[in-house]
Amino acid sequence: MRFVAKRLLLFIAALVGLSILVFLALRVLPGDVAAVMAGTNATAARIAALRTQMGLDRPLPVQYVDWLGGLLHGDLGISAISGRSVVSQVGARAAVTFPLIVLSLAIALLIGLPLGCAAVITRNRRWRGLFHVLAIVGGAITALWSGLLLILLFSHGSGLLGLFPSQGFPNDGWKDCGRAMASLVLPALATGITAGAGIMRYTRAALGDAAQSQAVSMAMACGMTRRQALLRVGLRLSMPQLVSVIGLTFAQMITGVMVVENLFALPGLGSMLITDVGNRDLIAVQSELFLLAAFFLLLGLAVDMAHHALDPRLNTASDDVQEVL
Amino acid sequence: MSAARVVMRSMWRKASGKYALIVLGLWVLVSLISLVWTPYALLETDGFHAWASPTAAHPLGTDGVGADVLSWLMAGSRTNLAIASLTVVVAGIFGLALVAAMVSRHTALRSTSVVVVDALISIPTVLIALMLSVLFGASTAVIVAACGFAYGLNLARIVRPAAILAARSQYVESAVWSGASGSRVFVRHIMPNVMPVLLVQLSMSAGMSILAEAGLTYLGVGVGVGVPSWGHSLATSVRFISIYPLTVLWPGLIVTMTVIALHLFGDALRDAIDPLTNPELREAA
Repeated sequence: MRFVAKRLLLFIAALVGLSILVFLALRVLPGDVAAVMAGTNATAARIAALRTQMGLDRPLPVQYVDWLGGLLHGDLGISAISGRSVVSQVGARAAVTFPLIVLSLAIALLIGLPLGCAAVITRNRRWRGLFHVLAIVGGAITALWSGLLLILLFSHGSGLLGLFPSQGFPNDGWKDCGRAMASLVLPALATGITAGAGIMRYTRAALGDAAQSQAVSMAMACGMTRRQALLRVGLRLSMPQLVSVIGLTFAQMITGVMVVENLFALPGLGSMLITDVGNRDLIAVQSELFLLAAFFLLLGLAVDMAHHALDPRLNTASDDVQEVL
Repeated sequence: MSAARVVMRSMWRKASGKYALIVLGLWVLVSLISLVWTPYALLETDGFHAWASPTAAHPLGTDGVGADVLSWLMAGSRTNLAIASLTVVVAGIFGLALVAAMVSRHTALRSTSVVVVDALISIPTVLIALMLSVLFGASTAVIVAACGFAYGLNLARIVRPAAILAARSQYVESAVWSGASGSRVFVRHIMPNVMPVLLVQLSMSAGMSILAEAGLTYLGVGVGVGVPSWGHSLATSVRFISIYPLTVLWPGLIVTMTVIALHLFGDALRDAIDPLTNPELREAA
């Protein structure tokens, strides 16, 4: 319980710290958002009027509290460039990005977990070598490059096989489920392969450690075959560790997701953030950056909680052990 | 024979170590050569031979404005070498400082550093880079700062168990009792113990920084405009992929081969510098 309380407190502290950091970072920005909006021919009076209208001339603490209050009410502000509310844009684009992330993670798990287990179970030296090579090569490919190769191989038009679309997302969103799904297949594969190789490496290491444990030897002494002992006892033993690794993989996958969204011209959160950063759309960037980072902090929290729930040993042998240094 | 030579020889003996040493050696060599010589000047373009296929004059062909692809890749390798080495330095210093805090004798410092690392580690590198690039503009320094920060956190988390094991050992205890200062104990007794894990993690960080550079540069928050880098070469060839697919191959291949070499280098170095796994090192000492 002490751990949960401590971790929750830290999460809240991190959120507050992050919001102040994002807010301040974008206020000391050299480009003045009002001047950008007013255009190149604007008079000083016009810029000043815009600043007043957008509330940029108020003291910083007031602006900060106002922004934070808006966030809590689900009001992310009005984009300075498009004039639409940020929250409506975020909603529409999350409907592309989240399915993409879930699909990528599913592919990564489908590749990584079985191959990682197989690499430990097999005793054939050739197979072991092959798995080793697969893990290293898969982890060394950028999502950008694997995406390009997938386009060259499988896309309509320019690809050799012409199986899937390589550009864009249906305009009517998820109304035609099959078409929407088809346009996500190649991007999800591109990010899933790299992440899958990472998960495979960690699975192999964790299960390999578990294979040396007394629990697995005990299971085998009780009559299980090596494969049974590894899959039923060893895998459970390494599960807590795997859960935290998979959470981190998920967090680092977002770079790949942003890249493939741009590469495959998907209207997702990542490409929106990149466009807004390019436009110096201060208000939109501020809310989006904070929301994304908050999402990942929350994810970290969930992973840590799951890790503790899965591993009862952590609750008894906590970090209270006196260290000598 | 000096210890360094023994280590090099043990690495060279294995096929994976040989591959790593050759690729990394070539990387450094090409980077150095590109400082004084590239087949064509980077800004020398030939509009009549844009998108040329590989010929004797342009071994890897030309890009959309007729610039030589090989020259750009050669020049790019020194940018990537700088990014990778600086990332290793930043991540190493930041990570070791965190590890030192995690095994220090101040209880408050210890538990704070552990939870802070746990909380911050889930923030993706790309978000840090985006925020920094909004502030300071896209540049090599932004990539190094973002990667160094993220990989330093990662390093601290992975090295921590080995460091705690060493900190609880009897030789550390006796060192403390004989009056050694905290910093001396850390440098003399704990660092050598975490060195194998540390080196593997650092060489992986170097590899990840190359992958990150490619992604960030493609997104427009990587190296500045007109700076040669592998990510830059990859990103410029992307737009014309359906017309000239071959130009995409080279930069991607170079990135992948280098990252593989860095992975293998870390593994080979770990096995070679640990006296427990390398008997020759014990004999040499």
